[in-house]
Amino acid sequence: MIAALKRPSGFLPVILIGLLILYPIVASDTRYEESVLIICMLYAIMASGWNLISGLAGYVSLGHSVYLYMGMYTGAILGKAWEIDAMWLAPLGAVTAGLLALVVGLIVLRTRSHSFVIITIAVLLLGMLVAANWRGLTGGSDGFIVKQPSWAKDHPTTPYYYIFLGILLLTVALSAFIMRSRLGAGLVAIRNDEGKAASIGINTTLYKVTAYTLSAVPFGFAGAVYGQFLGFVTPSLVVAILMSVFLVLAALVGGRGTLWGPVIGGFLVWLLNEVGTIAAGEFRARLLIMGVVLILVVMFMPMGLLPTIRNFVKKRRESKSAVNFIDQKSIAAVSDVDISKIIARTRQQSEGSSHILEVKGIVKRFGGVTAVNDVDMAIERGSITGLIGPNGSGKTTLFNCMTGTFRPDEGVVFLDGENITRDRVWTRAHDGLGRTFQITRLFKSMTVLDNLVAPLETTSVRQMVAGRYSGDEVERAREVLDFMGLAQFEKQDAAALSFGQQKLVELAQVLMLRPGIILLDEPASGINPTLIEKLANVIRRLNDAGTTVLIVEHNIPLVLSLCDTVHVLSGGEVLTSGTPDQIRNDPQVIEAYLGPDHMVGVGNE
Amino acid sequence: MSESVLTMANIEAGYGGGLVLQGVDLTVDKGTITCIVGPNGAGKSTVFRVISGLLKPKGGTVTFGGRDIGGLSPSEVLKSGIAQVPQNRALFPEMSVHENVLMGGYAIRRDRALLKERLAMVAEMVPLVKERAKEHAGNLSGGQRRMVEIGRALMLDPAVVLMDEPSLGLDPKSVATVASVIRDMAAEGRTVLMIEQNVRLGMNLATHGVVMEQGKVRLTGDAKDIAGNPEVASMYLGKTGHNE
Amino acid sequence: MDLLQVIAFGVLLGGVYALLASGVTLIFGVLDVVNVAQGSFLVFSALFTWQIWSLLGLEPLLLVPVMGLLMFVIGWAIYRGLLVRVAPQGPGMTVLLMFGVAIAMEGVLNIVFGNEFKSVTPPYFTSSFKIGEIVIPYPQMISGVLAVVVLGGIYVYLRKSWAGRALRASAQNKDGAALVGISATKASSLAFGIGAMTAGVGGVLLAIMYPVYPATQYDWIARLLGIIVLGGMGSIPGAIIASMLLGISESIASAYVPQWAPVFFYGAILVILLFRPHGLLGEKTREDVAA
Repeated sequence: MIAALKRPSGFLPVILIGLLILYPIVASDTRYEESVLIICMLYAIMASGWNLISGLAGYVSLGHSVYLYMGMYTGAILGKAWEIDAMWLAPLGAVTAGLLALVVGLIVLRTRSHSFVIITIAVLLLGMLVAANWRGLTGGSDGFIVKQPSWAKDHPTTPYYYIFLGILLLTVALSAFIMRSRLGAGLVAIRNDEGKAASIGINTTLYKVTAYTLSAVPFGFAGAVYGQFLGFVTPSLVVAILMSVFLVLAALVGGRGTLWGPVIGGFLVWLLNEVGTIAAGEFRARLLIMGVVLILVVMFMPMGLLPTIRNFVKKRRESKSAVNFIDQKSIAAVSDVDISKIIARTRQQSEGSSHILEVKGIVKRFGGVTAVNDVDMAIERGSITGLIGPNGSGKTTLFNCMTGTFRPDEGVVFLDGENITRDRVWTRAHDGLGRTFQITRLFKSMTVLDNLVAPLETTSVRQMVAGRYSGDEVERAREVLDFMGLAQFEKQDAAALSFGQQKLVELAQVLMLRPGIILLDEPASGINPTLIEKLANVIRRLNDAGTTVLIVEHNIPLVLSLCDTVHVLSGGEVLTSGTPDQIRNDPQVIEAYLGPDHMVGVGNE
Repeated sequence: MSESVLTMANIEAGYGGGLVLQGVDLTVDKGTITCIVGPNGAGKSTVFRVISGLLKPKGGTVTFGGRDIGGLSPSEVLKSGIAQVPQNRALFPEMSVHENVLMGGYAIRRDRALLKERLAMVAEMVPLVKERAKEHAGNLSGGQRRMVEIGRALMLDPAVVLMDEPSLGLDPKSVATVASVIRDMAAEGRTVLMIEQNVRLGMNLATHGVVMEQGKVRLTGDAKDIAGNPEVASMYLGKTGHNE
Repeated sequence: MDLLQVIAFGVLLGGVYALLASGVTLIFGVLDVVNVAQGSFLVFSALFTWQIWSLLGLEPLLLVPVMGLLMFVIGWAIYRGLLVRVAPQGPGMTVLLMFGVAIAMEGVLNIVFGNEFKSVTPPYFTSSFKIGEIVIPYPQMISGVLAVVVLGGIYVYLRKSWAGRALRASAQNKDGAALVGISATKASSLAFGIGAMTAGVGGVLLAIMYPVYPATQYDWIARLLGIIVLGGMGSIPGAIIASMLLGISESIASAYVPQWAPVFFYGAILVILLFRPHGLLGEKTREDVAA
C-alpha cells in the first residue's frame, strides 16, 4: 500500500487495465457503458500520442485531431476501394497520418512558440476544409459511410472495446519505449532548453520531427478503427477543434510528460463530458462545464494530477530530512583518476593543422555597431588560451561566432582544418567543440546524472532509439563526476545545486563529448576563490590529458596564471597577443582597460 | 561644503542566496558628477538597482534628500526625483523622437502647462529633440538614441540622474556630445551618478570618483585623484592580489 | 455579378474583418497572448443584440456602443481575473486558457439561446444601396462603414490619447514603458478590454448581416487566426491588409468558386509561413533566432 502511495503510477495502472479487461466479461448488457469507455480509451490514446511532442518536448499542438481524421479517411476510403473492413487498414492509417505529420513537422518545426501553436490549428482547419470540399475523394461535407462487418450487428461494441484496449496498450508501450530511450531524454532536454540541447550534440530538428511524426501514429492507427466503429466519417470543424482541445485537456489533467497521466486524464475528461451531457443535458451545460474545467486546470493545476500527487508525497517525505545545500567545501578535490581515457577523442583528428580552432576575417555587426571588426585568430592545439578585453571589446561576440551561437556577417571558422562556418550547433559538438555558458544552462528538470548522460557525440537513428542508459555513458559519466569531485551529486536535481556546483557539472557535461577543444565562457564569474582554484586545477588536468582550452574571462589574474597564450581584444579588433608575462607588462593592455587613448581628450572643455 | 543628496549606508544586497553588495557606503553630493568604476562583478549595476527600487536591500539604508527610500517601488522612486538612463535600449522604436520624450512626462501627463514647459526645457538641453522630432526613434544611431533617452529622463525634472554606462557602444563624437549634456545637467544643479566602464573617460568627466571591487567601495575621492591612482589600475588587472 | 460589385462587397466585408482582427492584434502586441476567444466574444455580442432586438424592437445599430461597452468590461474582467495569472506560463497555456473561455462562453450561449440560427432583421434588412452600377445590400454597407469608423476611432485613440500612447509603448518596449512609470497590468487590462470591445461592436454588425448561432465561433477563430498570422503577429497595418485580402477573396470566391476559396486562403498562409515565419509584416521574435 505504501509502495503504491510512493509510486502512484506503479499499482494504479495495472488495476485500471485489469478492471477494463474484466468489465465486459463480468458485467452484463453493458453496450452503453462500453461505448462510453471506448471513447474514453480513444481520448487516452490520443492524449498519449500528443504527449510525445507536446508533453515531452514542450511543443504544444492544438490541432492534433487532424491525424485521427487522416486515419479515419484512410480506413474508410481504401476500405471501400479494396473491399476490406476499415479496421484492418489501421496500420496504413498510421502510415498516412505519420507521413502527413512528417511533412507538416518538417515545415512547422522551424518556428517556435506562438507560431507553432497557431500553425497546428491552421493545419487542422486546412485539413477539414480539404476534406469538406474534395467530394470526389471524401464525399465532401456529407461524409463517407463506412461499411460495418457482419459481426457488428450482434456485437456492436464489445469487439471494438477490446480492439481499442489493445491499441491503448500498444500506445502506452510506444510511449514507455520512447520515454526510456535517448529520444525521450533528448526531447525533455529540448523542452528544458533547446539551445543548450543543441550545443551538447542533440540534433534538435531530427528529434522534434521524429517525435511529431510518432505522435501522429497512434492517431492514425486508432482512426481507422474509430471510423468503422462510428459507421461514418464527417469533416466537422467544430468536432475536430473540440476534440483537439479536449485531448489536450486530458493530458493536462492527468499530467503531461508522464506515462500514465494522459491515460488517466483521457478517462477523466471523457467521463466528465458524459456526465455533463447527461446530468446537465437539459440545460445544455456540457460545454460550459468542460470550458470551466479547462480554465480551472490551466489556472490551478497546470502540472496535472500525477505530478501534483507525486510532489505532495515527495515533499512529505523530504520534510523529515532537511534539504542540505551541500556547500563548496564538501566538493571533493580533483581526483587522481587518469582522465585521458575518458575524454580521449575516439575519432581521428586531422593532424594537418597545428591550429585546432582558427577564425579568419570575422566581422559581426549588430544594428549600427560593429562588434567584431575583421578578426583573425588561431588557437594552438594543446594550449590553454585566454581571450580578454574590456566590456564592449567584442570578445564575447567573437566567442559566440566560434561556437555557432552567432553567424558572422563575414569570415570563416575552421575546426581541425575544416570549415565549420555554416555548420549547425550540434554538428560542431560532434566535431569536438564543447562550450560552457557564463550563466549555467543545465536541464533543470533532470538529475545531475541525466544531465551528464544527455550529450551525444554523433547522430544516428540507432542511437536515438536505444535506451538512454544503454551504452557506456553511465559508466563514463560516473568517472567524469568522480574526477571532478562531484560523485555525491549524482542523484540530485540539477535545479537544487548552487551556482558554483552547476558550473562544474556543466563542464562535466561537456567532457562527455570528448571534445578536442573546450570553450569556457567566463568560467570564474560569480564563484568564490576556492572554487576558482579548483576550476583552474581541473582545466590544467584536462589540458595535460590533451584537451585544448579557450577561456574568455574578465578575471585577469586567473587568465594570466593559467594560460599559455593570451589574446587581447579592444574595440572589436585584436590589440595584441602574447604570453602572460608579455601581456602583464604591456602598457597598451592597461590602457585598453582603463579607457582607450582617443577618448581621453573627450570631456575636457 | 556641498550637501549630500544621496547616501547609502552599509548596504547589503544580492540575488537569490548570495550577496553582491557586501556593505556599501556611498555618499553623493548635490550638483556633482560622481562616477562609479570597478572591475566586472564589483556590483556597480546592483547599486543602481537598489537605488531605483528594482532590488530591495537585505541590510543597510538608502537615503535621498533625507528620506529613506529603501522600500519604495520603482515608480515611487521615479516620482521622488530620481531618473535613470539605462544601459540598454529603452526607447520606443516606432514612436517619433518627440513622442518618446513626451512619454517621459507620463507621470505628469495631466498637467498640460507643466508638460509644455518641460518639453521646452528638454528641447533646449538636447537640441536633437527638436531637430529630429518627427523621426522614428528606431532609425537613430546609438549616440542619438542616448541623447533622446537623456531628454526623456529629464522630463520629470529629476534632482538625480542615474546614468548606466553612458558611453557604451558610442563613437567618440557621440561620447563628446553626451559628456557635454552631462556637464550641462550638473551645471543646472542636478546630481549625476554614473557607472562607467571607461575609467579614463569617467574620471575626466566626473568631479568625484568611486571605485568598487567585489561588492565594496574601495576608494573615493576627487576624480583627478582617482584617475592618477595606480591602485585603480592594479585592481582591474588584479596585481594587488585582491582576487586571489 | 459585376466584378466591381463583388470587390466592393469584399472591401466592406474586409472592413468588418479588419475591426475584429485589429482587436486580436492589439491584444497580441501588448500582452503576447493570442485571443482565440475572440470568436466567442463576437457571437456573444451578436446573440445578445438579437435578444434585445427581438424583445424591444430597438434599432440594432443603437446597440453598438452598448455591446461595445459590455464586452470591454467583460474583457477587462477576464484579463484581471484569469489571464494575468496564466500569462507567465507561456503561449501554449494562454491559448489553452482562452480556448477554455471560448468553450465556456459557447456553453453559456447554448444554454441561453439553444442551437438555432438567430437573425436580426431590421426594416432595412432587405433594402439595397446603389452607387452607380453597384448594388450593395444595406446591412453590408452600414456594417462596413461603421466598422471603418470604429477602427478609425481606435486609431485616433491609440495615436492621440495618453492611454493609447501607453498601450503602444508597452507593445514596443516593456522595459522602457516600466521606466517611465507605465503600469504593465493596467496597459494589459486596457488592451484586452479594447480587443474585446472590437468584438462587441463587430457582433452587432455581424448580427444584422448574417444569421448567427453559438458554434459559428469556430469559423471566426479560423478567419481571425489566418488574418493575424498572415498579416504578421503584432502588426495592425498588416492585419488590416490581410483582412482586406480575405474579404475580397471570400467575396470573389462566393461569387464564382464557392467551395475552394477558404482552402486557398489557408494554403496560402502555410506557404507564406514557409518563407516568412513571422508573417507578411511581422517582427522576428527573439525565439526565432537559431541558437
